[in-house]
Amino acid sequence: MGMLAWVMMGLALWHFAIWLPDRYWGGIVGAFLGALIGAALFGFIVNGLHIPGRADTHLTTALEAIPGALIGMALVYFEGVRRERTGESHAVRL
Amino acid sequence: MSDRQRHGFVLLLVAGLLAASVLVIATQTTLLGLDLKGGVQLVYQAKPTPQSAVNQTSLNRAVDIMRQRVDQLGVSQPEIQTSGGNQISVGLPDVTNVARAESEVGTTARLYFYDWEANALAPNGKPVADQLTAQDPSAVTISQGQAGGGGPGLPGGGGVPIYQAVKLASQQPTVPNNHSQRLSRSGPLYYAFGAPGSTACATVAKANKTTPIQGQHCLVAGGNPSDTSVQALTQDLPAGISISQVQTLAVPQGTVVLQAANPSANDTIKPTSPTAQFYVLKDNYSLSGSDITNPQASTDQSGSPDVTFGFNSFGAKQFQQVTAAIAHRGSVASPLGAANQQNQHFAIALDTGLVSVPSIDFKTYPDGITGGGGADITGGFTSQTASDLANLLRLGALPINLVRISESQVSATLGAQALHQGLIAGAAGLVVVALFLLLYYRVLGLIATSALIVYALYFYALIKLIPITLTLPGIAGLILTIGVAADANIVIFERVKEEIRAGRSIRAGIATGYKKGLTAIIDANVVTIMTAFILFVLATAEVQGFAFTLGIGTIVSLFTAVLATQAILMTMGDSRTIARPSALGAGAKKRQWHFDFMGASKYFFSLSGVILLIGALAVGGRGLNLGIDFTSGTRITASLVKPATASQVSSVVQAAGAVTPQVQKVDNKALGHDVFQISAKKLGPTGVPKVRSALQNRFGLVHPLDSSSVGPTFGKTIAHSAVVAIIASLLVISAYVALRFDWKFAVPVLIALMHDLLITAGVYALLGREVTVDTVAALLTILGYSLYDTIIVFDRVRENIPRMPRAAFSQIVNRSMSEVLTRSIATTSCTLLPIIALLLFGGSTLRDFAFALLIGVASGAYSSIFIASPVLTHWKEREATYRHRRDRIVTDHGFVAPYASAGADIEPAGSRAARRAGRLTEPEAETVSAAEFEQMKRDIADEEREPTRRTSTLTKRLSHTADSDDDDGAPAAKRPSGRTKGRTPPAAPGATAPRAKPPPPPAPSRPEPADDNVKGDPEGDRGAYNPAPDEAENEGMAPIQRPARPSKSRSRNRRHGRRR
Repeated sequence: MGMLAWVMMGLALWHFAIWLPDRYWGGIVGAFLGALIGAALFGFIVNGLHIPGRADTHLTTALEAIPGALIGMALVYFEGVRRERTGESHAVRL
Repeated sequence: MSDRQRHGFVLLLVAGLLAASVLVIATQTTLLGLDLKGGVQLVYQAKPTPQSAVNQTSLNRAVDIMRQRVDQLGVSQPEIQTSGGNQISVGLPDVTNVARAESEVGTTARLYFYDWEANALAPNGKPVADQLTAQDPSAVTISQGQAGGGGPGLPGGGGVPIYQAVKLASQQPTVPNNHSQRLSRSGPLYYAFGAPGSTACATVAKANKTTPIQGQHCLVAGGNPSDTSVQALTQDLPAGISISQVQTLAVPQGTVVLQAANPSANDTIKPTSPTAQFYVLKDNYSLSGSDITNPQASTDQSGSPDVTFGFNSFGAKQFQQVTAAIAHRGSVASPLGAANQQNQHFAIALDTGLVSVPSIDFKTYPDGITGGGGADITGGFTSQTASDLANLLRLGALPINLVRISESQVSATLGAQALHQGLIAGAAGLVVVALFLLLYYRVLGLIATSALIVYALYFYALIKLIPITLTLPGIAGLILTIGVAADANIVIFERVKEEIRAGRSIRAGIATGYKKGLTAIIDANVVTIMTAFILFVLATAEVQGFAFTLGIGTIVSLFTAVLATQAILMTMGDSRTIARPSALGAGAKKRQWHFDFMGASKYFFSLSGVILLIGALAVGGRGLNLGIDFTSGTRITASLVKPATASQVSSVVQAAGAVTPQVQKVDNKALGHDVFQISAKKLGPTGVPKVRSALQNRFGLVHPLDSSSVGPTFGKTIAHSAVVAIIASLLVISAYVALRFDWKFAVPVLIALMHDLLITAGVYALLGREVTVDTVAALLTILGYSLYDTIIVFDRVRENIPRMPRAAFSQIVNRSMSEVLTRSIATTSCTLLPIIALLLFGGSTLRDFAFALLIGVASGAYSSIFIASPVLTHWKEREATYRHRRDRIVTDHGFVAPYASAGADIEPAGSRAARRAGRLTEPEAETVSAAEFEQMKRDIADEEREPTRRTSTLTKRLSHTADSDDDDGAPAAKRPSGRTKGRTPPAAPGATAPRAKPPPPPAPSRPEPADDNVKGDPEGDRGAYNPAPDEAENEGMAPIQRPARPSKSRSRNRRHGRRR
C-alpha cells in the first residue's frame, strides 16, 4: 500500500512538470521516470528499506514521496540541461 | 465477385445465422452459474504427497476423481476445473446437504494398512511388538486393548490425548526419503497447542463448543497437510491467537499420529474434542488403497454395515505376507499354555484416523490370509458412512492433498434475484444505447440498432451453443460488449459522414468510410480481446466468466458492427432512404471543434495532478478498503426465521468462532424480513459450517446461507494473479501498440493507463468503497477499454502525419483531436450508458463492478485526449524532424499556431509508398471524390488565367519530388519569391533555427492565424484567392470563413490533394 501511495504521489507531481520548459533528459517521459523512481526510492530509503504494508500506511507515507519525486525530476532536468549545454559546446567547436 | 454480390452474400449469411441463432435459443437451455441459480463453490489448494507432486497430471487425475465423487452425490452439472496451476475449483449447484458435499468432494481418502503391533509406539517410544515378550503393560494395552475398556485402536485401548501423542511423535527421528520404510507423508507436520488454562484454549473451546480439560494442553491448530511449516501453521491459527501464545511441535517424516477409531456408528468423536485419543505409529504402511479392488458397502454377519473389497495381485500377495507375519508374531507372543491368546492386529487407517484394527487369528490363519477372498472393514459404520467410504475407495484416493482455501454459497433465491437484476440491466443498457444511436445517427442509428439486436441474438445463441456458463460477471461482460459493439459503429459512421461531407457520393462515402474506420476498430478490438484473453488465463474462476464473454462478444461485435452493417448500408446505397447526406447525419457540420488541445494541456495535466494528489493522500491516509477476497474472511447473508436484532445475531456468530463480526440488517424482501449481512475478516472457510449451524439452531434459516469465505492463501492468490494480469496486460498492450504504431506511441499509452488505474484507485480510497475481485476485473477491463479511445486518437495522428509533412507535431495532434473528438465523445457516451444501466439496475455485485468501470472509462476517455496525446506530442517534438519543423514555423511565422496552414497538410507523393507495412486492412485504392476532382480542375483553370498565382494542388502533387521534403526545415525557400512577401525570410537550407533568439513577434497588422486555412494564410494574397479548406481533413476546426464567390461551386468543399 505504501508503494501505491508513493507511486501515486510521484505521478501526481509529474503532472506539474509540464509547466517547466521541456529540458528534461528524455523529455516528459524522462521526467515521468524521474518522478516515479525518485518517489519510490526516497520512500523506500526513508522507511528504512521497507515498504509499509496496509496497516502501516499513513498520510505521511504519501507525503514522504514528495521530496523524492521533486529530487528525481530535478536530477532529470539538470541532466537534460547539462547535456544540452554539452551538445551546444560541441556544436560551437565544430 | 462484385461488391453487390458480396454484400448480398453477407446479408444472406447474416440472415442464415440469425435463423440458426433463433433456433438455438429456442431449443437449447442456458447454463447458469452458481451465482445465478444457487449452490456451493469450493476452491482447494493442492499440496504434494510422497507419491505425487503437484502438476497438471496429478491435478487432472484429482479432478476426474472429484467429478466421479460429485456424480455419486447426485449433483447435476457440477463445474470442476483446475486454475492457477495448483488449485481446483468445484462448483456444486443445487446442493442440499452442503456439509456432506464438502466432506466428500475434497477428502483425500487415502487408505493405508499397517501392521499394528510392529508400528504402534508405546509411550517409551519403542514399537509395541518389541515389548510384548517382556509384557510391558503399556505395550500389552495397545496390542490387546484395555480389559473392560476399548479394544485395540479404540479410545481407551491405550490411546493418549493428542498433546502426548504429538509430543511422543515429535521425539522420533526423521526417516529419510530413501529409507526402506513406505511413507504415507513427506515432510514434517506441525501442530500448535495451548497451555492448560490459557486464553488460547479458552478461545478454541468456545469456538468448538467444548469444555477444556483441566491440566491438559489443547490443540489450537495443525495436523493439516498444509501445515508443513510454522508459517503455514500461523495462518491456521484462530483469530486473536498469535504464534507466540502457543507451543508448536513438529512430527517428523516417518511418524504418523492417528486418531482412535470410532467405537460405534452412533459414537463418533471429532479430532478437536478434548476426549479424542490418538496413537503414534511408525509410518511404514504395508498396503495402500491402490492395492484393493471393488470396494462395496455391505453388512457383516451381525447385520452391521461394513465395507468389503478384494485385492489386486500385488495387494493379495502383500496381504498374505503381512498377515502371515502378524500371525507368526501372535503365535510367538502366545506360548502354549498361556492363559490368553494374544492375537496380533492389522490396522486400517483412512487419512488421519484409524477405521478399525482387526485381529489375525494365528490359529486359524497360521500362514496368513490369502488375499484371493478379499477382506472387509467393519466397525463404526452407518449405512451412509459405509456407502460413502466404499465410494471413496472405489473412486480411489486423490493423488494429492487438498486444502480448502475458499468457500462460497449462494442461495437459489439470491441467485434468481441476481439474474433478474442482470437481465434488467442488460435490457436497459441495450435500450439506452439504441436510443442514443437513433437520436444521434438517425438512419445509420437504425441500422446500428438492428446490428445490436442481431449481435445480442448471436451472442445469446453462442452462450447456449458452446455452452458458456452464464455468471453475474459474465452478464456484466455481455452488457459491456453492447457498448463496444456500438462503439465500432460510431467509429465507422463518423468516418462515413466525413467522407460524404468531403463530397463523395453516398455509396463511395460508405465504402471509403468502412475501409478507413476498420483499421482503428481492429486495433482497438484486438487490444480488448488480448486483455480478455490475459484475464481468462490468469484470473480466478469468477473473473474468467467475464473475460470469456468479453472476448467472444468483441469478436461477434466485429462481425455484426462491421460486416453486417456495411452490407446493409451498401445494399441500401441507391435507395431513397439514404439518398440525402442529411439522412445519415452527414449534412452541414453543426459542431466544429477548434480548440488548442496541446496548448491547454498544461491545465488538464494540472487537473489530473490535483486529482491524483488527492488520491495519493487518500490512499496514504485512508488506504484501500480491501474486501475479503484479498484480506481473507467470510461474508454471510442469512435470512432468519425468528426475528432478531443485529446484536443478538452478532453474539451468536461470535460464539460460533467469528471475531468482531460486523452484522448489518439489510432490506431484501425476496429473502425475507429478517435478513442480516455478517462480515468477519478473521473467519475462514472452515468456520462457516459452525456459523451456519449456530444460526440454524438459534434463529432458524429461511433459505440456505449465502456465504463467501476466503482463506488467506486464496486472498494472496487473487492479489498475486491480479498483479500478474495487470503487468501482463500492460506488456502485451505496449508490444501491440509499438508494433502497430511506433514504440514512442506505446509509452504515452502506458502513462495514460497508469493514470486511469491510479485515479480509479484514488477514488476508491477516497470514497472508502470496498475493493473486491470484481473491482480487479473491472480495472483490467479498463486497461483494455481505455486504449480504445487512445487508439482512435492515435490512429488519426498516424494517418495525419504523412498528410501534414510540414506541420509541427502539436499541429498534427491538434488537428487529429479536432477530427476525432466528436467520435470520442460519442463512443465514450455509448459505453458509459450501459455501464450506468448496470450501476442503476445491476444489484450489489454488478453495481460494484459498474462503479469501477464508470470511473475507469470516464478517466480513460479523458486521458486519451488530455494525457496520452500531449505526452506523445512533447516527446515526438524532441525528434529532429519535428524540432526542425517547429523551428521553421517559428522562423516563418514568429510562433507556432495551434493549427497548421493549408500548405502544411499536403500529402507528399511518396507518402503512400512510405506507409507502414503490415496494415491489417487492405490499402485503399487511389481515388478522389467528385469534389476533389472538380476542385483540381478549377485550380488548373485558375493557374492558366493567372500564372503568377499559387500553384494548384494537382500541379503541386505532380511536381512534387523527393527532394522537396521539408524535413530539413527549408521548404519555404523553394516557394516563389513573391509568395514570401511580408514574411520572415526563410532559413537557408541546413541552417540552425535561432532557438535562443526567437524571431520578433508578428506585426499587429498581421492576421492572427487562428485557422491557417483562412486567417493565417502565409501567401498573403487572400483578397485575390482563398483556397477552400480541406473539409474532410480539417473538419472540426475553426469556422471556415468562405469569401463570397460568384460561382456556387467555388464555395463547395474542396480538398488539398487526395486522401488516403
